[in-house]
Amino acid sequence: MLALVIVLLPLVAGALLFLVPRDDARLSKSVGALVAATLVVLAFIERSQSWTWRWLTHPFIANIHFGPTYLSYWLVVLLTLCTFGAVLSTNVSRTRSMVAALLLLEGTMAGLFLARDLLVFALFWDAMLLPVFFALLSWGENPATAWRFFIYNFAGGLLLLLAVAAFGALTGTTDVIGNPAYHGIVSPWAPWILAGFAVAFLVKTPVWPLHTWMPPTYEATPAPMVAVVSAVQSKAGLYGFLAIALALFPSYFSAEVPVLVILAVISLLYGAFIALVQQNVKLIVAYSSLSHLGLILLAIASLDPIALRGALVYIVAHGLFSATLFIVLGYVEEREATRSLAHLGGLGWTNPRLTGAFCVAALAALGLPGLAGFAGELVILIGVYQGGYAWAVILALVAIVTAAAYMLRLLQGATQGPVRTDIPMRRDLTWLEGAAVAPLLFALLYFGVYPNALLGLHP
Amino acid sequence: MMLLLALVVPLAGAALCWAFGPVLRSTAGWLATVAVAISFVLVLLTGSGHAALFSWMPGFDFGLMLDRLSLLWALIITGVGFLIHLYSIGYMDGDRAFARFFAYMNFFIFAMLLLVLSDNWIGLLVGWGLVGLASYFLIGFWFERRSAVAAAQKAFVINVVGDVGMMFAIFLIVANVHSISFSDAFSAASSFSPALLYAICFALFIGAAAKSAQVPLQTWLPDAMEGPTPVSALIHAATMVTAGVYLVARCAPLWDQSPSAQMLVGTIGALTAVSAAILGAVQWDIKRILAYSTMSQIGYMIMGVGIGAYAGGIAHFFTHAFFKAQLFLASGLIIHALRNEQDVRLMGGLAKRMPLAFWATLTGVLAISGIPGFSGFFSKDQIIAGALAHGHPWMYAVGIATAGITAYYMFRLLFITFLGEYRGNVDPAQLGIKREVQSSVAQEPEHHRAPAWVMGLPVAVLIAPTIAVGWLLFGSSRAPSPWSRFFAEQFSPGLTSAPAIPESLTTIITFCVVLLGIAIAALRYATQPARTNAVARLRAETERMPKVLVNAYYVDALIDLVFVKTARFLGALFGRVVDPHVVDAAVRESAASAQGLGSLVRELQSGLVRAYAFVIAIGVGCFLIYYLVSGVGH
Repeated sequence: MLALVIVLLPLVAGALLFLVPRDDARLSKSVGALVAATLVVLAFIERSQSWTWRWLTHPFIANIHFGPTYLSYWLVVLLTLCTFGAVLSTNVSRTRSMVAALLLLEGTMAGLFLARDLLVFALFWDAMLLPVFFALLSWGENPATAWRFFIYNFAGGLLLLLAVAAFGALTGTTDVIGNPAYHGIVSPWAPWILAGFAVAFLVKTPVWPLHTWMPPTYEATPAPMVAVVSAVQSKAGLYGFLAIALALFPSYFSAEVPVLVILAVISLLYGAFIALVQQNVKLIVAYSSLSHLGLILLAIASLDPIALRGALVYIVAHGLFSATLFIVLGYVEEREATRSLAHLGGLGWTNPRLTGAFCVAALAALGLPGLAGFAGELVILIGVYQGGYAWAVILALVAIVTAAAYMLRLLQGATQGPVRTDIPMRRDLTWLEGAAVAPLLFALLYFGVYPNALLGLHP
Repeated sequence: MMLLLALVVPLAGAALCWAFGPVLRSTAGWLATVAVAISFVLVLLTGSGHAALFSWMPGFDFGLMLDRLSLLWALIITGVGFLIHLYSIGYMDGDRAFARFFAYMNFFIFAMLLLVLSDNWIGLLVGWGLVGLASYFLIGFWFERRSAVAAAQKAFVINVVGDVGMMFAIFLIVANVHSISFSDAFSAASSFSPALLYAICFALFIGAAAKSAQVPLQTWLPDAMEGPTPVSALIHAATMVTAGVYLVARCAPLWDQSPSAQMLVGTIGALTAVSAAILGAVQWDIKRILAYSTMSQIGYMIMGVGIGAYAGGIAHFFTHAFFKAQLFLASGLIIHALRNEQDVRLMGGLAKRMPLAFWATLTGVLAISGIPGFSGFFSKDQIIAGALAHGHPWMYAVGIATAGITAYYMFRLLFITFLGEYRGNVDPAQLGIKREVQSSVAQEPEHHRAPAWVMGLPVAVLIAPTIAVGWLLFGSSRAPSPWSRFFAEQFSPGLTSAPAIPESLTTIITFCVVLLGIAIAALRYATQPARTNAVARLRAETERMPKVLVNAYYVDALIDLVFVKTARFLGALFGRVVDPHVVDAAVRESAASAQGLGSLVRELQSGLVRAYAFVIAIGVGCFLIYYLVSGVGH
């Protein structure tokens, strides 16, 4: 029942927020923060209860079935933490609409991760596009970006839906996610169905060469939302690989592994090198995401149990630091009114608290030992090496060195160097702004020192 | 438990200084200094021990360990660290980020202790990375200076190259022993194939070379002198840069079984020792001279531990920690007094003005040059003799030659700085100094609150060990030195043969070469004509300096060309050409041919697509409604 509450509460609250008559920023932010905080608590205490309701019996059995699996438990925790931070950090025009969109996004993504039924999963897959699409249309400068995002992802969503329908028609039920009794499909059609799933997941993650919607989308989406999108929505594809492709198509998935390994490694290096030369701070983080998500896909494709553990740690770690980075970059943009590295500098003196948060997130992103990103990277690569991909490990290490270079370039470019005098007085983080990122930073440190906390529940 | 406390106290100090800096103000310095002192006492009281702490990941257990080797390092880190903290209270007085400085310094102590106290590879790697972070913060401490920012970045990135090498070694080890503890790896080492052992040692040594500024990963260390001088003394001389020596000594069971890995490490150490010493002879910045000498001396240590002369290699770490900290702190006295002037050409005649700095530098120079009786003599002698005993005659030769060069450039430093007339009022151009626009020096100390003794006392205290600790190494085969008895159980003696040249003769040869170096330096800088014509002579020397040495053998330029420029080129190629014009175009084209999506995308740009998307949405809606209705219907 709790799972259903986690899905419905933000959806209802988000919809009700539109009832706030005028654009009362304070009221809507307070309500949003309250709901988001409640959800953080619920997500933590929600362990194993599931809720199910028979939906279809024909042409196949489908249930409205929600409940956390081991993996989705952490994803929902991550989602609620990031949404809480995003709501608190919201400082855009039409705050009410943004907070509502964030809650709707939270509800749809909670639905996606908690869904135990493929058809429900597919529905939420498309539904979670809508808040982002809406935000891109409302706050983005170029509607073409919004449409590009939507069409690209919707095309993936269609393939996913077809694949689900075919899966249901073949096996008679779609209530199979995280079902230990279900051992996978055997059918000549299975490779095609898997391909449908895989393409949708690759687009969503995204993975080279299906990533070209992502940088413009991340750039145009307002900071609080892109924080959630990059932190959590990008994990939908990886979650799909783990919970659907790997779990339901075990034998067929291993046949696709060589392709995935190559795509993952290309993403890993390609994103890293592009991030090295970008001038736009949001694009640096966007391309670094391409690189980091490539690493997680590599872990999944290596099929090594240690690498899969590392993938979980890194999924959470990447969510935490990319959300923090985007929120912090939003703060920077509010103060400096620019996203260009060429126009930033010297924030360390004027905004020490902001710089501190920026610094921790950037260091986590470049894999500083002691923070969660490192734990994930190290364990992934230990596993990938054991899985027999020594060459991929070496290329990944090249990407790690590159990551140090581009993350420091970003961090130092924005916070160090002479203080820029051409911009008027800038205030440091307010405590509310700090509270938005503090839980994320704390989690980065905690899981970095003690990653076993993420794995302790492992069956 | 005390061991954990020794680790946590400096961390707590760092956190307090960082969080409450504005409140603590000058108290922060004392707080941090006391934290290091407590840590020192705790390490000393613990003596030895092992503490299992927690499970980092299933099967990967994290714990702390204090054996003879880590005890030595921990005592130097906290002991010398304490003196340098005390000194910094005076040196950093009036800096607007005073508390932040001490937060970083205490954090460094924590990280370095973690590095040497960990009983496992991951703890080592975490410490390894965190000392790099502390070093990064402190090199870039005055981060409004662009040169400091660039130096910090370079140091960090090169150190990440080293981290990555160590990570690869860990992958190799974990894949073979399925455990992260040192002891498991060392006991399994005998079953490794030679190729695997060499690969592990090679990868580990990438980390060691990056951290200890060994060829070819050395270029960051001279630039690291951008940091405040106490930082150079603590991190870039006494402790962090010797982590590579610690690593090789810690992994002695691996190196002992891989002669080719020993050869590699010994060769790199010897190469670094001599090449850095040559560069040390052509520097004008007092801190850069010391930086190259640090690099060169660490080359000795690496050579020592590389060839299996572990006791000698770490003995040189021990003595070097004192005399190099001494030299840096003395140079800090000068830099502080001369308002951040670091160019020795603009010094001169300081012996009378700054007697403490003079005597401290003098003892340091005597020690590093290996004058008999001073600490550096004993340890350097052990390494040079060890090279021959372990069967590496050319390393022996390099060791002796480098000792001569070392004596030359250190006495050069001493003479130019302290003899003759003060040249601070001479126009820099007359000395051949080309100054770019004077980078605005960080901050002038605004007001002095700290008592004068806080800077003087550590320098004075360090004079004693700089002279004396070498005698701990004094012994013979019949009556082993206290040092070799202390480390007897830590290291196996290894294969040594009776050297062709007896040790006493080696000592004499080395001493003669050292005297030669001193004599050349004296002729060039200390004679009466040299002192009176100092300005013209220094100018001539500046102008005749070989380009290849001034540019440090062009290693920087080469790295820039091969790695940095290539990476940027790839980034630009992928980002500006491949991404928009190949990948995106291909996706659009294939979408167009496959599903007619291309027309959709084109329509999108003309603004008519909403209809299409609407059609798709309706289509999907119908599909869902069909299932919903038909499902419920049954």
